[in-house]
Amino acid sequence: MEFLITMMVNLLVDMGPAIGAGIAALTGLGAGVGMGIATGKAVEATARQPEAVGKIRTMLLLGLAFAETTAIYGLLISILLIFM
Amino acid sequence: MLSLSEELQEKVFPKNVIEFGPFAVNDSVISGFIVVAALLLAALILRLTVIRRWKTTPTGGQMFLEWLVSFFDKSADEMTEKYSGLMGPYTLGAAAYICCGVLIELFGLRPAIADVCACLALALCSFLFIHTLGFVKNKYRRLLHYVNPINIITDLAVPVSMTFRLFGSILSGMVIMDLIYIVVGKIWYLGIPVVIPAVLTPIFTLFHALIQSYVFASLSLTFVSEAIETPPRKEKRRKRKADPSPVQSAQ
Repeated sequence: MEFLITMMVNLLVDMGPAIGAGIAALTGLGAGVGMGIATGKAVEATARQPEAVGKIRTMLLLGLAFAETTAIYGLLISILLIFM
Repeated sequence: MLSLSEELQEKVFPKNVIEFGPFAVNDSVISGFIVVAALLLAALILRLTVIRRWKTTPTGGQMFLEWLVSFFDKSADEMTEKYSGLMGPYTLGAAAYICCGVLIELFGLRPAIADVCACLALALCSFLFIHTLGFVKNKYRRLLHYVNPINIITDLAVPVSMTFRLFGSILSGMVIMDLIYIVVGKIWYLGIPVVIPAVLTPIFTLFHALIQSYVFASLSLTFVSEAIETPPRKEKRRKRKADPSPVQSAQ
């Protein structure tokens, strides 16, 4: 039992940053879902009202930038975990 | 031979080129200087050659320049009515710096924006613009905005989030390109090291540069327009007491 615990601890110490980086990369999930929904809605809006395409594009890009930010935070944290 | 991650680690963080005392100049700063010099030179040359020979029937280059300037001026005009003379040039300048600072990667230098301090400087510029214009427009009434203390945190989070958005997306593009260069460099097969990066660079460098500069410009415009809104509460009450009927004109 003790052997197992020491093994687990050693594994966590060795692999901790890598595991953390992997978990941090999961932020991509939320960002992906959000960007997908935003793009889908923009396509719907454009189909419904094609003359508003300029405004829709502007808003879509802003929204995508906000959604992308969370993914970027996750990426930054995983880069910091791996390389620092 | 270095392993992949060690090789990448060398490239992720900026290297100090010059060090004297507390001042350390890394390679990002140097490419930043190059970008600024190039932008100033381009502006000077354009001013002396193209703009002097402005025509009523525009050529392609003139159309592009006019579109570029009027694009930023127009969006500044829409968002920050009175202060568009200040915000239009600022957003154009910041966007040009970000765009060229990333595109310098194509010449093999480290992008100027791939350093937290460069992004922080740009974000602090926007932060100063937001709050100076907010206080200039609304005077002491702007302080009412801070009656709710959560707004202080919201305002302080703006430059931080701008910094990390810019830095993260540029750094991620750079890391992916470096990874591709490292992986592709080991394949000696028939010019693949030349072709694949050339195909992938527009996606990870060009696209990021244009999108991020546009996003930075429009975000700072949005925040400024939010800051210079006049707080409506008192005016509404007074108007309602004076004449309750014309609700439509108040809005």
